[in-house]
Amino acid sequence: MAKGAPLHENHGVRTAPRLIACCLALAALAVIAGGLLLDWIAAEQHVPDSGSVWLYPFLAAAVSVPAAVGALIVARQARNPIGWILVVGALSLAAVLAATPYAWLALDAHPGSLPGGSWAALVSSLWPVFFAWPLAVAFVFPDGRLPSRRWRPYALFAAGSMTLLVVALVLSDELEPPFSDVPNPFTLRLPEAVGFLRPVAWLSVFASLIVGAAAVRVRFRRSKGIERLQMLWLAYAALLIPLGVVWFLVWRLAFGEAGADNAVVGFLLGMEAAVALAVGVAVTRYRLYDIDRLINRTLVYSVVTVSLGLVYALVSLVGGVAAGRGSMWVTALAVLVVAAAVGPLRSRAQAAVDWRFARPRYDGLRRVRAFVEDVREGRREPEDVGAVLAAALRDPSAELLFRLPASDAYADRVGTVVMAPVGDERPVTKVEHRGQEIGLLRHGRAVLERPDLLRSVLAAASLAIEIARLRVEVRLQLAEVEVSRARVVRAGYEERRRLERDLHDGAQQRLVTLGIALRRLQRSLPREAQILGPALGSAVDEVGLAIEDLRTIAAGVRPPRLDEGLAAALADLARASPVQVDVEATDERLPEEVEAAAYFVVCEAVTNAVKHGSPSQVRVEAMVANGALRLVVVDDGDGGATPAGGTGLVGLTDRVEAQGGTLLIQSPVGAGTRIEVEIPCGS
Amino acid sequence: MRIVIAEDTVLLREGLAGLLEDAGHEIVARVGDAQALMAVVAEHEPDLAVVDVRMPPDYEDEGMRAAADIRRAHPHTAVLVLSQHVETRHALELVGAGGFGYLLKHRVLDVDDFLDAARRVSEGGSALDPEVVATLVSPQPREDTLRELTPREREVLALIAEGRTNAAIAKRLWLTERTVETHVRSILGKLGLPISGDDHRRVLAVLTYLRASAV
Repeated sequence: MAKGAPLHENHGVRTAPRLIACCLALAALAVIAGGLLLDWIAAEQHVPDSGSVWLYPFLAAAVSVPAAVGALIVARQARNPIGWILVVGALSLAAVLAATPYAWLALDAHPGSLPGGSWAALVSSLWPVFFAWPLAVAFVFPDGRLPSRRWRPYALFAAGSMTLLVVALVLSDELEPPFSDVPNPFTLRLPEAVGFLRPVAWLSVFASLIVGAAAVRVRFRRSKGIERLQMLWLAYAALLIPLGVVWFLVWRLAFGEAGADNAVVGFLLGMEAAVALAVGVAVTRYRLYDIDRLINRTLVYSVVTVSLGLVYALVSLVGGVAAGRGSMWVTALAVLVVAAAVGPLRSRAQAAVDWRFARPRYDGLRRVRAFVEDVREGRREPEDVGAVLAAALRDPSAELLFRLPASDAYADRVGTVVMAPVGDERPVTKVEHRGQEIGLLRHGRAVLERPDLLRSVLAAASLAIEIARLRVEVRLQLAEVEVSRARVVRAGYEERRRLERDLHDGAQQRLVTLGIALRRLQRSLPREAQILGPALGSAVDEVGLAIEDLRTIAAGVRPPRLDEGLAAALADLARASPVQVDVEATDERLPEEVEAAAYFVVCEAVTNAVKHGSPSQVRVEAMVANGALRLVVVDDGDGGATPAGGTGLVGLTDRVEAQGGTLLIQSPVGAGTRIEVEIPCGS
Repeated sequence: MRIVIAEDTVLLREGLAGLLEDAGHEIVARVGDAQALMAVVAEHEPDLAVVDVRMPPDYEDEGMRAAADIRRAHPHTAVLVLSQHVETRHALELVGAGGFGYLLKHRVLDVDDFLDAARRVSEGGSALDPEVVATLVSPQPREDTLRELTPREREVLALIAEGRTNAAIAKRLWLTERTVETHVRSILGKLGLPISGDDHRRVLAVLTYLRASAV
């Protein structure tokens, strides 16, 4: 779903900018690596303010994350200045961070043995560049442009303040601590008269930071759709600030004033890395859509962690009072209580967070779960799941298609088959159940902006969707089987018709021709050959008998009188029957296969009656009512006919059902047989 | 008699033509489809057209429809339709108007009967195949008046419906013509039909009655 940056943004990116950005990023990495090495060496030599090894990862991250993210953004979107801001910012930060231990080594540990110690101290005192790239990004995030033209003066003010501060620092008498007593190696000095510039520059940099935050806020309020998600990522990084403050306070309480400085530095460095990471995610749009979920989970886990902590503390406190301090049993009990509380607490916290911060998800999930329960209780049809999803996603246009794996097609809830969901521009989301694709959801674009809602609603509904899909599939397959059975039966009737024609128009014609030829021969015999006459005569008689046989066979294949309608064909059937058959049949013409089916049903029923029931009389009715042909065949024979009895009734049932009809047999022993058939005939 | 033959199977057509020529008739044209038949009938105005039911292009009932057209457009040309199997609908309608016969093809093998039918038809009479008549006269009639007939009378009735004369009926049933006349009078009386010396009018009356009573 959430893929990387659109590929088209890669076009037109020349290799040169990418190469330069890459080199700058690598340089930043190299510089910070060197800086960390120097710091470690300095610590070996007991240089003050060095050797905080636990700070190393923060230092490395604060440089390497913006450097890597910046290079990546340049590679993908060379025109977006954010990439360059990050790369250059990372490099300058690396320089400042690496200069500090070098200055210590050169000036303090081995005075005079290393060159440029005071220059390094000057670079080190430029530490406010730490704020430079976050400030720049605040103005142009996420598209590399200012929020509007009105922001130009503010942006220029911010850039000016930062420049002024750097210049004031470089040209000042006194370097920043801890190198306040190192002479500035730069020979130029600000005139005494403008000595106030340095504090002013500091103030304006802080003011710029506030303006930058305002720019982000304005942009966030205006943003919609994807930009809103991008802004949310930045906000997510900013969300870490209060957490950092809490952590800082805890640290200070635990270790006192001394460690707090390092804690603040570590925290600020971590923030720098986190903001760079968020910027990277937002600009490259990689996993952009996960922000809701991420915020949601962070909140849930924070709430769970804090609550569990409180529970643990409470249990320990109460237990401690009851059983005495430090009892193993109290600890064990507290752990048990916490372990037991995790599950229910997590789902409660999730529901509470959803209810407060993700109402659509909360409502949607509740709706889907209620539906699944209804399906289980048989109160609703699983096929309604499409409508439920549309309601849960708040997208009335959402449409669910069930996958038919056999034909690689899709079907809607009533079983209409669609080959591929084309025709509109609406996005499509695959629905999966146990790793198998079971359907497609077509929905509006707005749904994509709530991937967490979409994902969780689909996950909650997947079983219902699979059940509905199976039902639709079975129904379609059954319909297909019925259609194909009807087709086979119709093909059978057509084949009979063709055969009957072949017999009448082919073989019979030839026999008649042969008979005529023999007859003419017989009638034109010269007097001396008259003796052949009777022989020829009996030959013609044989031909006549052959024709009779052939006609009987053809009539069995398909009575030609069916061409005149069911009534005519049934009248012939009655006449040819050895027992009295009374026929009352409609004169209405019906579809050919219905007439054929009806004829053969009656034919088989009558034959059956005569063969097994020895009736004296058979009554046949064939009437049309309510769009169906109703056949009744009643005899006064022995009865006791069952489909299982091998009496041809099974074939009869097949014939009727192939036409979508029904067949009812009543055959009590000794009381005759009554067969009722209804075949829909669409008239 | 001047005769045209319409039959799409060439061998059968030649056989029929030979049979009729052997009997002294003149075959003025032999064609293979209904369209050609209409043309030659218009050209020659023959006494009789012997027509196959199924002919090109569709092999359905082209011959029967051509027969109806001929009877309408050329009243002096009688038509004898030959069919592979029984088809009553149109046949009964046309027989009622006279100058028309409907026989199953294999009746031709009974040459004298066939020639007699051809002659009857060309003289304005009618000929109806026994199997068609059988669809009208059931051995177990449900109609009350038909049930009043004796089996012998029903036999005679069927032969009347086929278009046969008293003499022909007498010959076929090995009866004297007088006995046949007695039967005929009795039958017509029981059915309430007018007694007429005219063979054709008699056939019409009987057929009309049978058609009305047939389900």
